[in-house]
Amino acid sequence: MMNAPQLDHPLTGPFWKAAARQELQITWCGACNNAVWYPRANCPDCGHSLHWRALSGEGLLASWCEVAAGLNPNFPSAYTCALVSPVEAPHIRIVMQLANCSAEKALHCDMPGRVRFISLQQAAGEPYLAPAFEPYHDDGTVCDKQLAPG
Amino acid sequence: MTRRSLQSIARAAVVPDGGTSLALDDIAGVAAITGIGETAVSGPSGREPRQMALEAIAAAIADAGLQPADVDGLMVSGHIADQITPDDFRGYFGTQRPLWFSTDGGAMIWAGTCGHTAATAMLAGKATHIVNVFAVDWASRRAAGTGTPGDWHAGEALKAHLEVPMGWYPQPVYFATFARRYMHEYGLTEEQLATIPLTFRRHANGHPGAVMGDRKLTLEDYLNRAPLAGPLRREDCCLISDGAAAWVMSPTERARDMPQVPAIIDGVGHGRIAGAPYISQQRDMTATPQVFAAPWAYAMANTGPSEIDVIAVYDCFSSTALMQIEDLGFCRKGDGGSFIQDNRLHHTRPRQKGGIPCNTHGGLLSHSYLLGASHVVELVKQLRGSAANPVADARRAVYAGFTADESSTLILSRGR
Repeated sequence: MMNAPQLDHPLTGPFWKAAARQELQITWCGACNNAVWYPRANCPDCGHSLHWRALSGEGLLASWCEVAAGLNPNFPSAYTCALVSPVEAPHIRIVMQLANCSAEKALHCDMPGRVRFISLQQAAGEPYLAPAFEPYHDDGTVCDKQLAPG
Repeated sequence: MTRRSLQSIARAAVVPDGGTSLALDDIAGVAAITGIGETAVSGPSGREPRQMALEAIAAAIADAGLQPADVDGLMVSGHIADQITPDDFRGYFGTQRPLWFSTDGGAMIWAGTCGHTAATAMLAGKATHIVNVFAVDWASRRAAGTGTPGDWHAGEALKAHLEVPMGWYPQPVYFATFARRYMHEYGLTEEQLATIPLTFRRHANGHPGAVMGDRKLTLEDYLNRAPLAGPLRREDCCLISDGAAAWVMSPTERARDMPQVPAIIDGVGHGRIAGAPYISQQRDMTATPQVFAAPWAYAMANTGPSEIDVIAVYDCFSSTALMQIEDLGFCRKGDGGSFIQDNRLHHTRPRQKGGIPCNTHGGLLSHSYLLGASHVVELVKQLRGSAANPVADARRAVYAGFTADESSTLILSRGR
């Protein structure tokens, strides 16, 4: 079942509008000064309304999954999907694909990296910019190779 | 019988942070499973779910020594298409009797919690003999391109907007991600994890009618398979099947005079992660909500893992089964990979020999994907002493139900 980002959706549209500007944003409670993810109308702890806040894009690889070609009809080629914990909010996880430009590089949970934006395109639908996690090399550098759209 | 207060159960049922145990009233000993029925289980068969449900019910009613007109309660799934209605029941069996009806039945967690719902209805005088039934034709639907088990996940708004567009879909991707984290935290190896599908396959090989009954699986076969959703292989993922299963629940005092050995419902638990249904955010990726369900069921039944003889866990994925074995309290969190070695889950290694026989029919991995309904039927057979892969002198059994964000626990004991 294909689901493209919906830029006009009241809860999730701001995430995708920010992604289109190559910015990673999540919902935040100003009263608790805490990330609340997934988005919702109000903070589950204090009831305060939430606002969208930009993140640095730095984070840790909470875990990942190598998806074989053909398993997900939306993305017929093989890819790697990840859960990423941003440094500003280590208790939440953002779902994204892995921008794994170095195939021989060994992945491990909790490795640091940063978000970059790549073009994803599902089997049926238009391409869209989405955050992807790029792990740092051990020397702290990241790969600058341009990724093919997913 | 004196019932325990909610406060008393809650004091005994200690659960970790990150979720809740639902406050289920004490129904220990009120009801029993008095009849079981199944259809054949298969791949794509073209069989119609309502017809399969009615066939399974007919078998369960006959097994209980009842007539269709004795049944005055019906429980079905409210979450899966094409389940039967009271009118379907009356039309098929030619009865006129009103039926107490609940859509909080079926399989998954409800295969566990329906025992609580039914016992509560009996205590309230709403029904006496209650049938729970579950039918599925997902093998036929998948073959025809008319539906998949992923449809609910793709249709839930936030998952549809924040997971599906990233490719975190379908279910093997979720549970592979959690399995990877578990491997990282506890050092689980692929060879250790293989013990789950290998043991369940051996059980299926000894269980007539199991979908994978005549197909052997070796460790070499397993390791030679390329991952489907790394680290999980196809053998770590449930089948997709057609079939139905049903059981009759009756008041325990009636059950004593019915033909089959009753499986008495001693305890039920129901746990849920905080922030349900979004499992990407669950606090502990290496555990299941069974940690929130099992303590309540044990407290209600006044028992614990050391007194359980056989278990059936919702094994949508091998890693989920492994986590639930831990979360039911049979070993410490993280020790599961070594605990399950040496035939410990096989039906030939009972508790007195250090085992905990698990999914003795082959489970969702190798018997069929009836979403847990066959698991409960198998446990009843174990308690009766009629299972194809018998566990010697099984007196107490536990079913662990699962929907990803919720778990249930059903504790059954042999009634005579």
